[in-house]
Amino acid sequence: MRALLVALAIASYTFVLLPILIVVVTAFSASEFFAFPPKGLSLRWFEAFFASDSMRGAFARSLQIATISAVLATILGTMAALVIARRKGWIVNLVQSAFLAPLIFPAIVLGLSLLIFYKRIGGVPEFIGLIIAHSVLGLPFVVRSVTSSLLAVDPALEEAGQSLKASPVDVFRFVVMPLIWPGMLAGGIFAFILSLGELNTALFLTGPGVTTLPIEIFSYLQFQGGQLVIAAASAIQVFMIIAIVLVAERLIGLKRIVRSE
Amino acid sequence: MMTQGYSLNRQTAAAALLAPPLLFIGLFFIVPLINLFWVSLHGASSSELFGANLTGDNYYRILTDSFYHTIILRTLWAGMTILLLCLVLGYATAYVIAPLPPRTRLILLLLLVAPLMVSNVIRAYGWIAILGRQGVVNSLLRSTGLIDGPLLLLNSFEAVAFGLMTILLPYMVVSIVNALNAIDRQYSEAAQSLKANPVRTFIYVIWPLSSPGVASGMLLVFLLTLSAYVTITLLGGPRMKLLVSLVFDSVTAFRWPFAAALSFTLLTLALLVAGLILAVLRPARVQGRG
Repeated sequence: MRALLVALAIASYTFVLLPILIVVVTAFSASEFFAFPPKGLSLRWFEAFFASDSMRGAFARSLQIATISAVLATILGTMAALVIARRKGWIVNLVQSAFLAPLIFPAIVLGLSLLIFYKRIGGVPEFIGLIIAHSVLGLPFVVRSVTSSLLAVDPALEEAGQSLKASPVDVFRFVVMPLIWPGMLAGGIFAFILSLGELNTALFLTGPGVTTLPIEIFSYLQFQGGQLVIAAASAIQVFMIIAIVLVAERLIGLKRIVRSE
Repeated sequence: MMTQGYSLNRQTAAAALLAPPLLFIGLFFIVPLINLFWVSLHGASSSELFGANLTGDNYYRILTDSFYHTIILRTLWAGMTILLLCLVLGYATAYVIAPLPPRTRLILLLLLVAPLMVSNVIRAYGWIAILGRQGVVNSLLRSTGLIDGPLLLLNSFEAVAFGLMTILLPYMVVSIVNALNAIDRQYSEAAQSLKANPVRTFIYVIWPLSSPGVASGMLLVFLLTLSAYVTITLLGGPRMKLLVSLVFDSVTAFRWPFAAALSFTLLTLALLVAGLILAVLRPARVQGRG
């Protein structure tokens, strides 16, 4: 019985990790087409990636959208969490569910509803439209992680600040924020990573000439499947995520990374 | 007077803090959703986003046309297959990981959570590289001389179900590990002291107490399956369509009202299956017993 369980666990790890590993190894191929194991190693596909205007442009745009939407989600999510964590009652519960809903809401429906909404209000530039969509999707991560950080802070500390006549802004800056920043950072990092790989809303909200890297990879796979430059594009994203996880582990701890997803 | 003024002040502060995020989520999540429903109740128009008259035709067509029934059943069947595979593999994995020392457990969980951060398009690409015509499996089999021509492993229902299962599996493992670790060990010790064998202990003690984790894992896996257009398209090919593919196809044909109606069909399906999962597993009975 025990052996069967361990075998199933090993199978799980193989199924989850193997595809990513294969893509990363393939990115270093020297050959023109896919072969495994690769015939020779080279960096030519990474050079091809940075030489391609559309790939480089999509990559830069993805980074910009992820950064701006993560900052926006962190600010708005922290504001919401400050109220949610300190108040009780059905209204607060309802508000909290509204903020957490995008976590399980089918994102493809969110993408379509935003696309039609943008059209009805007279059009929104793709770049802005994507930032809005990714902020909506990132918000729940921030609300969740900041709320749980706040619940660990003794409200007496805030009251002490208030009784010393500190303004609410000062109480937040000097009392609350130093205690909850790991929660804010964890939420922001997740919003950033989510935006970087997001497909379901980007599918509808990108436009000709304004795509994100995952959508660029998707259209390459659909229309020019053999190109190994997408392996390099994928590998770059995997390396970025590894780097972010390593930095996050230092800043906010392994426990928070594993819990927040 | 003093306290009242103070609490009134806090009331305003709370409202001022809540207003911007609430406005944001209202304007860019709730209003567009209501608008989508409104659009779904109209006919198509060649010049506008939707026609002028209110009608239930879109829904009527989905409910009566057997083509849509086939697609909806296939979507449900895919969801069930993925849920079952995720449950077996996820529970076994969680069962192995949960009792390990905290540091080891966290690192093993990180190995599953980190892939969730990698875009699904990349993870699906990995499966294309493994299962495709020139893929790893076919080259290995051909070099050993077991086959002459390449096996066609992609563009099938099985490829979609298996690929999506591997993409969503980590959610299941993480939820079940959390639930298993929340169970007080005294419960299973009590069962053992009453001479229950390990199987009975599992069925009557561990499984019911872990049901909140199983339920939340299943909800996440099923809801994410419904949206996974890119994975379905890449692994299933042009003919293996699920409900989400029809939503996308209607959009590319500029049939906005019909795409909207299909979206609400998808949401209804999500709610029904979510309700079913909760009714069968009854996770609420464990609440408050930590």
